Amino acid sequence: MSQKPYDNWETIIGLEIHVELNTRSKLFSVAPNRFGDEPNTNITEVCTGQPGALPVLNKEAVRKAVQFGCAIQGEVAKFSKFDRKSYFYPDSPRNFQITQYDQPLVKGGSIVAEVGGEEKCFAVNRVHLEDDAGMLKHFSTFAGVDYNRAGCPLIEIVSEPCIHSPQEAVAYAVAVKAILRYIDASDCNMEEGSLRVDTNISVRLKGEKGFRNKIEIKNMNSFNFMEMALKSEIHRQIEEYLHHPHIPPEQVIQQATYRWDPEKKETVLMRRKETADDYRYFPEPDLVPIVLTDAYIEDIRRSLPELPLQRERRYGRDLGLSKHQSFALTIDQALGDYFEEALKTCMNARALANWLLVEFAGRFKESGESVLSSGIKPEQVATLVNLIEQGKVTGRIAKSVADDMVAHPGADPAVLVAQNPNYHPLNDQEEIERYVNQVLADNPRLVNDYHVAGAEHPYRRDKIFTFLVGQVMKLSKGKASPTVVNDRLKHRINQWET
Amino acid sequence: MATLDKETLKQLTRLCRIECTEEEQEALLKDLKKILDYVEQLQEMDTENVPPCHQVLENRANVMREDVIGEVLDRESFLGNTPHIGGMIRIPPVIKHKGKYV
Amino acid sequence: MYNLSAIEIREQFLRGERSALSIARYYLERIARFEAQIGAFLEVHDKQLLSRAEQLDQKRHTHQPLGKLAAIPIAIKDNILVKGEITTCGSKCLAHYRAPYQSTVVNLLLAEDAMIIGKTNMDEFAMGSSTEHSAFQKTYNPWNLTCTPGGSSGGSAAAVAARFCPVALGSDTGGSVRLPGAFCGVVGFKPTYGRISRYGLVAYASSLDQIGPLATCTADAALLMEVIGRHCDKDSTSLPEEPEEYLNHFKHSIEGMKIGVPWQFLEGLADEPRQRFEEAIEKMKQQGADLLEVDLSVLKYAIAVYYILATAEASTNLARFDGIRYGHRSPRAKTLDEVYDFSKEEGFGPEVKRRIMLGTFVLSAGYQDAYYRKAQKVRTLILESYKQAFNQCDLIASPVSPFAAFEIGSIQDPVQMYLEDIYTVSVNLAGLPAISLPNCLTKEGKPLGLQLMGAQKQDRLVLNAAHVLEKIFPFHKAVPPLVDQEATL
Repeated sequence: MSQKPYDNWETIIGLEIHVELNTRSKLFSVAPNRFGDEPNTNITEVCTGQPGALPVLNKEAVRKAVQFGCAIQGEVAKFSKFDRKSYFYPDSPRNFQITQYDQPLVKGGSIVAEVGGEEKCFAVNRVHLEDDAGMLKHFSTFAGVDYNRAGCPLIEIVSEPCIHSPQEAVAYAVAVKAILRYIDASDCNMEEGSLRVDTNISVRLKGEKGFRNKIEIKNMNSFNFMEMALKSEIHRQIEEYLHHPHIPPEQVIQQATYRWDPEKKETVLMRRKETADDYRYFPEPDLVPIVLTDAYIEDIRRSLPELPLQRERRYGRDLGLSKHQSFALTIDQALGDYFEEALKTCMNARALANWLLVEFAGRFKESGESVLSSGIKPEQVATLVNLIEQGKVTGRIAKSVADDMVAHPGADPAVLVAQNPNYHPLNDQEEIERYVNQVLADNPRLVNDYHVAGAEHPYRRDKIFTFLVGQVMKLSKGKASPTVVNDRLKHRINQWET
Repeated sequence: MATLDKETLKQLTRLCRIECTEEEQEALLKDLKKILDYVEQLQEMDTENVPPCHQVLENRANVMREDVIGEVLDRESFLGNTPHIGGMIRIPPVIKHKGKYV
Repeated sequence: MYNLSAIEIREQFLRGERSALSIARYYLERIARFEAQIGAFLEVHDKQLLSRAEQLDQKRHTHQPLGKLAAIPIAIKDNILVKGEITTCGSKCLAHYRAPYQSTVVNLLLAEDAMIIGKTNMDEFAMGSSTEHSAFQKTYNPWNLTCTPGGSSGGSAAAVAARFCPVALGSDTGGSVRLPGAFCGVVGFKPTYGRISRYGLVAYASSLDQIGPLATCTADAALLMEVIGRHCDKDSTSLPEEPEEYLNHFKHSIEGMKIGVPWQFLEGLADEPRQRFEEAIEKMKQQGADLLEVDLSVLKYAIAVYYILATAEASTNLARFDGIRYGHRSPRAKTLDEVYDFSKEEGFGPEVKRRIMLGTFVLSAGYQDAYYRKAQKVRTLILESYKQAFNQCDLIASPVSPFAAFEIGSIQDPVQMYLEDIYTVSVNLAGLPAISLPNCLTKEGKPLGLQLMGAQKQDRLVLNAAHVLEKIFPFHKAVPPLVDQEATL
């Protein structure tokens, strides 16, 4: 199925991200907030909706929610409260959820994300606290309900409908996840369900005013699937409109909920929304409001760690890293931390970044591991870079040293170099000169072309020169110092007589 | 004045998930109409600038607890009140991905 | 012994004059003799009671310290959880529900060495004013077996009136401790909202519910308040203040106390209750209180506000009884939909269904503004009205109910039944402390109660005044003739 170009259509996407906060206990219950234990072992009377049980708010959940609100520069409400949202489902212990309806903890805010090399700013509508439902497990003749997850603290992050492509949606979600990881608010594990994304998506003709009906998509448990689901849905919606040009748009696409089927690789109808759900929101009488002071909010804002965007900008500005390097080292917080550690003893930040992102990453690609779990210490990578900077080893040899480091994790590269004579740089001028002479002798035609090209064709001339350098390096088994080789070769080639 | 008719009553039974027989519906309709008639008198009061009462005790706010794990409910006594299987509460099969009931 | 107060019983136990076992046996014998006619209890925990009594005797024998409620038998309304015991809330829905955790109040009682004698009958889920809506049995008024004991804590009030125990716990959402107290001729106290923990009290209307003691005299009620009127970490609406002492602060006169009476609001009162009320007021004057009129005309809307807000909260509080985690699950149900629809249909009685429907309606889209939000606003006006009245007086006096205990089955119209609560509901709406004090008997020999209410947190003032007045009221400590005799000869 090929994607037709839909140039005169635009997409409007809104994302609702549910994040499980990594507090020790649940939001209103003192049961442990843990994943993967035996069913119904992390429960109390509160999160199983026993008669007479009452909720008490977890202050750490509030703090993490406020932290996130500050991190996205949203407005943290000085007054917010909880409401009951009524609906019946077996995973709901009380058949009402305690959430925040009209007075949420955070209003507004923005997410800056990198989309196709450019920075874009996306508006957030609100962030609020609510408690999670339990889990249903489906079998053929019955269903089982496990309330371990019931009552776990969630923040719901609602974007404005300001996202206009699947790539933007992924970039937004990736950026949100990075912030959450940096402030350590959540494990953000999509497979375990601690980060869940629902999207609302509609399309319209460019220039059209007003929104057409939107479709909700659930059950995308990776960013990859989300991008596929959105692409698939955009295609589906536009095709529907194109195939029914004489039917009013609001009847072509009617509001409904779809789920992403990872096997069929398409969105599948879950249920239609005939009438709006009547959740009958009203203020939760068992809880009192949250009133926050300026001092409390400021305190949290001041104690925020360096956030992904700040780190990314710092890498570019202060360390001179490329945009790509800055992004890659930021989006993976652990890798960035590793980089920071190595940087403490390293002479060249850009080179260090390259070694981490390209050289070492490449060496671990197949095994699926990474330098982080390899046992290679950050200061050892720094040492390797420093050895090159100091001329103690050539760039080419350093690659072999790196291979050794991977094979023997924890080995100090300085020691590896010292112990292996093949790694020692060749600085013997005479030997280098011999190699240079030999290469020149072996390539008379190229030497001639070099002189013929001259200053008028510098590109051709430089290409030949680079090739010849390479040949010298080969003869020296990579040990010759490139600077010396360059110098001698230049000297000799200008003297050479054909 | 809200009109409570049979259709509205049916919607209500769907919202609060209580099935009612025909007779019960008749009786309910009558009684609810009476009660709604009675409470209609509230409309006499001018409440234009009156804030709603969310809390009967004034100035209560910020009742929170430390993030500490407390006493967990014994699984046996939890499951003992209902059909269960494999440590989970057992219910009739749910059509997968049906979503929320209204 | 049945004329002894709880305080006196404990003193006799501490002095070694009576063993806990003899106390327990005594009251079990009274139950064996009279309970069949009254039906106050859903469950009598005789084995547990005797075993506990033995433990207490042992404790005393080995000179261990004994609690403030040592050897006092107490009955608990069946919507308060006692861990490991069946808690039905008067409903078929919970006929087999065994409480998996302990309510805070019962924890506090047991810590002070009280003895729990059993769980008492009530209107289903506390929705009612006569205990006629219990799914299991009727409770009959010990003063007149053709009459209701009031509700919803009818079982607890009847148990105390019949001297099955000196004290009991009930719950009060719109008058459910005070009204049965008045109908049965016992003291019923509802504290300031938040004074007693609601943790373990099956919720009816969260912003109105409070547990309250029933006793034959104010001192006993005050003793109970000292034990259970404490802050609870598990209840976010619990008052943060330190627990109060009442017994040591009892004064002996109400001289100079300003008592407000909302005469205008009482205009519809029938002759006999009105005369009795006026006599009680006169006695207060004789005791040196200053009487004045207060304007509480907004209270005529209190019932409407109550029935909107209470049912709204109740409709969500009772949503959990779907038969999935506990409670009645319909045997007819084959699908999940049927589990929801049939379980509640079979488990709930008509009054509960009525209130849940009403509550769902007033919260539903399109009606919430006109009903729920409007009621919340009028609630603010009621609060304001009381605040202004308490600027002029210390306490407000009124009858507890428009008339004495009515015949079982005589009120079928729901609205008429709701109007029973006309003098009591506004107290819950405003979160005030209030007491029902038996004043006198009607010509027919049925008790009438006087209500005293105070401003928020003025529990001590209310208990104080009641303690002074009960001695001078004609009723004082009267026992229903039916049970005014020993169980064994």
